[in-house]
Amino acid sequence: MKPLIEMRGVSKAFGGVHAVEDVDVDLYPGEVVAVLGHNGAGKSTLMKMLAGAYRRDTGTVLVDGNPAELSSPAEAFDLGIETIHQTLALADNLDASANLFLGREIAWRVGPFKIMDSAQMRDHAAKVINQLNPRFTNLNTPCRDLSGGQRQTIAIARAIHFEARVLIMDEPTAALGPHETAMVGELIRELKAKGIGIFLISHDMHDVFDLADRLVVMKNGQVVGSAKKDDVTQDEVLGMIILGKCPPNAEPGPGARVSQ
Amino acid sequence: MTTETLEPPSLAEPTNKRGFNVRTLSLVGLLVVIAVTFHFLSGGLFLSARNLYNLVVQTSVVAILACGMTLVIVTRNIDLSVGSVLGCVGMVIALLQIEIFPQDAAWNWPLTVAIGIGLGALIGAWHGVWIAYFGVPSFVVTLGGLLIFRGAAFEVAQGKTLAPFDPVYRLFGGGIDGALGVGPSWALFAIIMVLYGLGEVLVHRRQMRLGFDSTVRTKLLRFLAVFVVAAAFVATMNSYMKPRSDIGRGIPVPALVLLSVVLFMEFVTRFTTFGRYIFAIGGNIEAARLNGIPTRRTVLKVFIAMGVLCAIAAVVTTARLNAGTSSTGELLELSAIAAAVIGGASLSGGRGTIAGAVVGALIIQSLESGMVLIGASSSQRMVAIGLVLMVAVLADKYLSGEE
Amino acid sequence: MKRRSVMSLLAGLSLSALMTAPALAADITVGMSWANYQEERWKIDESGLRAGLEEAGAELVTADAQSSNERQASDIDGLLARGVDVLLIVAWDSEAIIPSVERALAEGVPVIAYERQIEYPGVYYVAFDPVEVGRIQARELVRAQPKGDYVIIKGSPTDQYAHYVLTGQKEIIDPLIANGDITIVGEQWTDGWVPDNAQKNMENILTAVNDKVDAVLASNDGTAGGVVAALTSVGLEGIPVSGQDGDIAALNRIALGTQTVTAWKDARELGRLGAKVALELAKGTAPEDIEGSVVWDKGPKGTAQNASVLAPVTITHENLDVVVDADWISKEDLCAGVTENAPAACN
Ligand SMILES: Nc1ncnc2c1ncn2[C@@H]1O[C@H](COP(=O)(O)OP(=O)(O)OP(=O)(O)O)[C@@H](O)[C@H]1O
Ligand SMILES: [Mg+2]
Repeated sequence: MKPLIEMRGVSKAFGGVHAVEDVDVDLYPGEVVAVLGHNGAGKSTLMKMLAGAYRRDTGTVLVDGNPAELSSPAEAFDLGIETIHQTLALADNLDASANLFLGREIAWRVGPFKIMDSAQMRDHAAKVINQLNPRFTNLNTPCRDLSGGQRQTIAIARAIHFEARVLIMDEPTAALGPHETAMVGELIRELKAKGIGIFLISHDMHDVFDLADRLVVMKNGQVVGSAKKDDVTQDEVLGMIILGKCPPNAEPGPGARVSQ
Repeated sequence: MTTETLEPPSLAEPTNKRGFNVRTLSLVGLLVVIAVTFHFLSGGLFLSARNLYNLVVQTSVVAILACGMTLVIVTRNIDLSVGSVLGCVGMVIALLQIEIFPQDAAWNWPLTVAIGIGLGALIGAWHGVWIAYFGVPSFVVTLGGLLIFRGAAFEVAQGKTLAPFDPVYRLFGGGIDGALGVGPSWALFAIIMVLYGLGEVLVHRRQMRLGFDSTVRTKLLRFLAVFVVAAAFVATMNSYMKPRSDIGRGIPVPALVLLSVVLFMEFVTRFTTFGRYIFAIGGNIEAARLNGIPTRRTVLKVFIAMGVLCAIAAVVTTARLNAGTSSTGELLELSAIAAAVIGGASLSGGRGTIAGAVVGALIIQSLESGMVLIGASSSQRMVAIGLVLMVAVLADKYLSGEE
Repeated sequence: MKRRSVMSLLAGLSLSALMTAPALAADITVGMSWANYQEERWKIDESGLRAGLEEAGAELVTADAQSSNERQASDIDGLLARGVDVLLIVAWDSEAIIPSVERALAEGVPVIAYERQIEYPGVYYVAFDPVEVGRIQARELVRAQPKGDYVIIKGSPTDQYAHYVLTGQKEIIDPLIANGDITIVGEQWTDGWVPDNAQKNMENILTAVNDKVDAVLASNDGTAGGVVAALTSVGLEGIPVSGQDGDIAALNRIALGTQTVTAWKDARELGRLGAKVALELAKGTAPEDIEGSVVWDKGPKGTAQNASVLAPVTITHENLDVVVDADWISKEDLCAGVTENAPAACN
């Protein structure tokens, strides 16, 4: 099977900080790849490069085997790459449907302007959100007055509404209650079954082992190693995250600590 | 469940159960209080047809600027240069129309207006590029603009006053002939009401089709309110006679210019993606960027719009004075900012309405005019406007906290 | 008062008799520090100043501070270093300039505050008499409209000059107010002298008095423009309105009959006066002995200074030829749109 995403030698530095260094990662259709690492390991930065939010300094990214520039979020959207950002990327002064369609409003072009079809957007938004969280009904409320879980629901709804082929979920369940978290797990399985490739960033080892097919562990911007979920134990993964020690069953990356 | 209203969600304005914008309504309430107070203090002068006519004309320039300022403030920027840009564009129009182009040519004034608007757009783009692409804070850029374009206004004609303008151009100023007249005023009223009614019906039908429980009562009430206010306005403007005659003046041209600006800007902010992007940028510029909104281009366009509005305001101001002077528009930036802020624009971005800005401008001008009517000095006027500015923002804070 | 001026005249005569003035003048270098030479008007001042100095064979060196306090201070240092014998200053900021003035005086260089007052003892002041401006305005208005309801549109409340003008206006009209000939039905300051503000104020005053206005004392030609625009929109154009500066637009209004008077300040004359005073001071003439010198103490601080003040010229419909003859305005500009009741200058 042809990979959806191939990242080769991708690096990004902020001033002197090497946030991501020489990273290789693949993603196949219908696969869930968990990206793990401690805080500041470079997970979000790596994903933002794929989402078109940051430009990579070096490296190539192939989408469906074709080189992709990924110079803007719009370009990523066009390639079917959707992202649930860690920060959720919601405008607090706008309501659910405005945020859901932000940047991609349903609109008719009239001369230099695009006139929004607010009613239809509201209609769609209500349906998608209802599917995720039936108790979320205050669709006219600006996001600043919503709960953390409701805000996260909007961000998730946005990613699934636009029918992604690649979905990046950067800690999507951080603000959710147990029930909603379970719903998201269910959702991931559903999407996976449809052949969507998913990058899942999470600190919850239980979730990761529950949902992921493969794990990639990062430390200080580099890949420590990657492994099939079934080939490693939770303790081994923790060792990778904390110590950068790559177990024998995993494929070591440039960031793996040289074993004594 | 979903109480659907005409108010698009993007503005995130609190509305009461009838679907009226609470903030704007409370501002209108403040305006009414001010008007009635001055009416009594001035012995019945304030609410006379004549004063209301003057008030509308006098408000138009600040209100036009305040509309643009609202957009600028919503994107979490500020424009301190509007008075200077107005002065500079006004001087260029005056120089071209009076000194350079042949005075009797029919194409003279339309061409100079077009050039003026082009120049306004260019100046706006100049500011916008510095702010959006070079990342210099708008406060600094437009403070520079305040100095640059006031200086330029002087340089255009070395500080000379240029007069007189073409008689047709002068109509933009709403002088003795610068009003529609009785018949056309009513005709315009009728056309606008029919279009408004049709629009409401269309929107309502669409909402019904999509299954929102759209309330007819709300729409009918609102239509009636607009109808009554507009009719009263036209009747008042018509009852102010030209000097030594019984010919009613009708809607003054500056009010017409303002009305066009307001309708257009309301349309842009409520119904277009551009308008939505403006609010999204003000709410969370990083989120806007992550969602693929061209944030820089949007901010650039906002400043271009501001420049164009400065040019339109320059046309009204110079036509009204029938002269181009290098000091025209001095200190107007303060009135424009004050009007936008009284009208509910939040300096921390993401919030503000066009209608609010216009009411804000009306409040400021009512205080100005009303205090002159009762013989107060300019220093007392400054104190009063400063206090109202602060009280209005405080009241607004509590209103939004309650919602 | 009279005695004193005769005395000073005698003293002046005796001094100039002792010195061979022309021979000395040839060696005199006069320094001029402009605040902002970009402004058109100073070029006109300079032509008068230069003419006055050249006739006496003296040299003029100038510097332009370009609207900066720091620059003006260093300009003055530079002029002093060049060894000027007398220093004229158009102060950008009349307070910030004082340390520079002190330095010049300490070096024994006489200082002349040109047009903008520097309130500091020992500084000579040369300017158009702003109080006389107000008198001219009021005098001509009263001539045109001896009785009735007056409106006063004052200048900028933060500008001392506006207060001087008002003082002159009041000198003339106060007695007429006292005897009941004139009633002030409205008065407003004009923030920043901005014509648009004057226009709004006038419109609102007209509303307040229901158009019962017979004359408007506007403090300069800019505000007069605003006043005339306001009057025109209610069909009252043509009632007496005053002004000052001799703006092209205002002179045209006088020709058209919508403005009554402007107090015209011919900057060339002031330049010549500046040259004359500078030469006298350079020669060592005591300030109080300079011909026409008066004591000026009408500033905000009330400092008494020697001064030469020039009366502005009264320009009305009758003598518009004065400004045409002086090449201040072209006949074409003056008479644009004039049809009926044309002034002599337009024929
Ligand atoms: N915009 C930025 N400018 C400067 N430095 C940044 C920026 N974004 C990230 N960094 C730095 O890059 C490094 C990686 O950050 P990143 O957000 O990718 O970590 P992360 O693995 O997502 O951590 P977390 O688990 O806390 O979300 C950090 O050292 C961070 O300080
Ligand atoms: Mg992260």
